[in-house]
Amino acid sequence: MNTVTKKWLFLKFSSIVLIPLMGWFIFKLASIFDKDYVEVVIFFSTQPSKFLVSLLLVFSFFYSALSISEIFEDYIHDEKIKNVANKLLFIFAITIPLVTILIIFNLSI
Amino acid sequence: MENNNPLSPHIQIYSWHISSLISIVHRITGVINIIAITLICLWIVSLLLGETSYEVIKSFLQSFFGKFFILGLSWSFSFQILSEVRHLIWDLGYGFELKTTKITGIFVIFGSLLFTVLIYLLGKQVI
Repeated sequence: MNTVTKKWLFLKFSSIVLIPLMGWFIFKLASIFDKDYVEVVIFFSTQPSKFLVSLLLVFSFFYSALSISEIFEDYIHDEKIKNVANKLLFIFAITIPLVTILIIFNLSI
Repeated sequence: MENNNPLSPHIQIYSWHISSLISIVHRITGVINIIAITLICLWIVSLLLGETSYEVIKSFLQSFFGKFFILGLSWSFSFQILSEVRHLIWDLGYGFELKTTKITGIFVIFGSLLFTVLIYLLGKQVI
């Protein structure tokens, strides 16, 4: 299986996972966005939201990184610039969710 | 020698179709969603920093612009979900007929607006 096919399959798999997660999260966000500090901390620090939000972050950044790297493939013709852009993109897509998940798992009242 | 090759259609004279509109909006909402999720990560960071820093973000979210932001995000997420379902149906080999693509395209547009209202009202426990 070549790299492009693998990339496409990863994109499809992550979109199947993301569809229900995004639906669940946006509904929850609409119900907690203006709530007090304690209520929001309880939401993020208890199960199942702790696990589901972590899953959402991992898959959404993974999906975005794959999609954006496809845009780089289409529009950046210089190989060196493309490599640097892809590396920066993957560092961003790993760091942000990782730090946020660590914070979620350390949240407590 | 004169080049008689046809020119690509310029975006200003391009005839818009439902499918091209959905395709462009799908990309735009994808970018909006990842920016929004990054902002949500910052919101979670503010929780770790304590109640004082959380209050700054809360006061924004309780304002008119904050509510508009949440409504906009609900639409952007809803659009992306429905459009992605449409793509998955295409991947299975269905829905390529011109009439079907128009119907599913219209469903994505109006369905996302309906979902936005429902998500917001259900979230705020209005219904």
